[in-house]
Amino acid sequence: MSIPLFHNRPVTLLGAALACFALVACKPSGEQAADSAGSDTMAAAMAPAADTAAPAKPNDAQIAHIAVTANSIDSAAGVLAKSKAQSKAVKDFAQTMITDHTQVNKQAVALATKLGVTPEDNDVSQQLQSGAQTSQANLNTKSGADFDSAYIDHEVAFHQAVLDALDSTLIPNAQNAELKGLLTKVRPAIAAHLDRAKGIQKTLTSGS
Amino acid sequence: MLNRLLRRTATAMSIAVAVAASASCARRAAPRSHVVLMKDVGFQPAELTVDRGDTIVWKNEDFIPHSATARDASWDSKAINADSSWSFVAETAGRHDYYCVFHPTMRGTIDVR
Repeated sequence: MSIPLFHNRPVTLLGAALACFALVACKPSGEQAADSAGSDTMAAAMAPAADTAAPAKPNDAQIAHIAVTANSIDSAAGVLAKSKAQSKAVKDFAQTMITDHTQVNKQAVALATKLGVTPEDNDVSQQLQSGAQTSQANLNTKSGADFDSAYIDHEVAFHQAVLDALDSTLIPNAQNAELKGLLTKVRPAIAAHLDRAKGIQKTLTSGS
Repeated sequence: MLNRLLRRTATAMSIAVAVAASASCARRAAPRSHVVLMKDVGFQPAELTVDRGDTIVWKNEDFIPHSATARDASWDSKAINADSSWSFVAETAGRHDYYCVFHPTMRGTIDVR
């Protein structure tokens, strides 16, 4: 299997985009609405930087690691939300995140085992972990309706970032056909999670 | 005498044929089975027309659980795990909208004639 390395420096657009989700998502909803910091921060992270002319090109082992890391992070966030969320809709959503992301990880690990690929830690995965810790710490300070809003804002930003990363980096760069197939099969689930999170976000914002 | 017997026999046979034909018309076609795939976080086909008494089988070909849940809550598969299926006999005529409770963007319709 061909193992291309990251182009340029390893801290890439993908890493920046995925890592910033936590900081964006943990802003209070009102604050986000007031200054649209969420979308602005995400857009800035996705924009080409002067010293990163080429997009990230992770190899298959790194893509597998990024996929497993992202799934684990969202599953863990779901566990936290299931115990802290106030609304039934948010609790139910959290349970779906736990179930689905756990299942996706099982598939990813099974495929990596079958292909004899050892998921390779990389800067993107590490940034994801770091961002998740910040996000988790922030969510831990909240309760009740504030927690529900913060968690759902987090989920909207996270799934949007993952969807963008799948489309722009992970799927196009996957070399192995089965890995590409798995990522492609996962995509509709991520899109469905994003839609459901947006729907809940709307009801929380409107207070209904 | 022979003529009268023949006439009676013919009449009886005509009645029997007519009754059989009538019964045949009234009888529905044998119930059929239809498969709806749960695939790529969607129902395939999303719209299905069936006759009363037909069976609809939902097969989950994704690796995450889905459900087939009537909008009016009259039936609900609950979670159908990967590589599993659930079936339902359509007894009530009409249009039945349903969705997946876990992924509400998955929507389908069963039209029961």
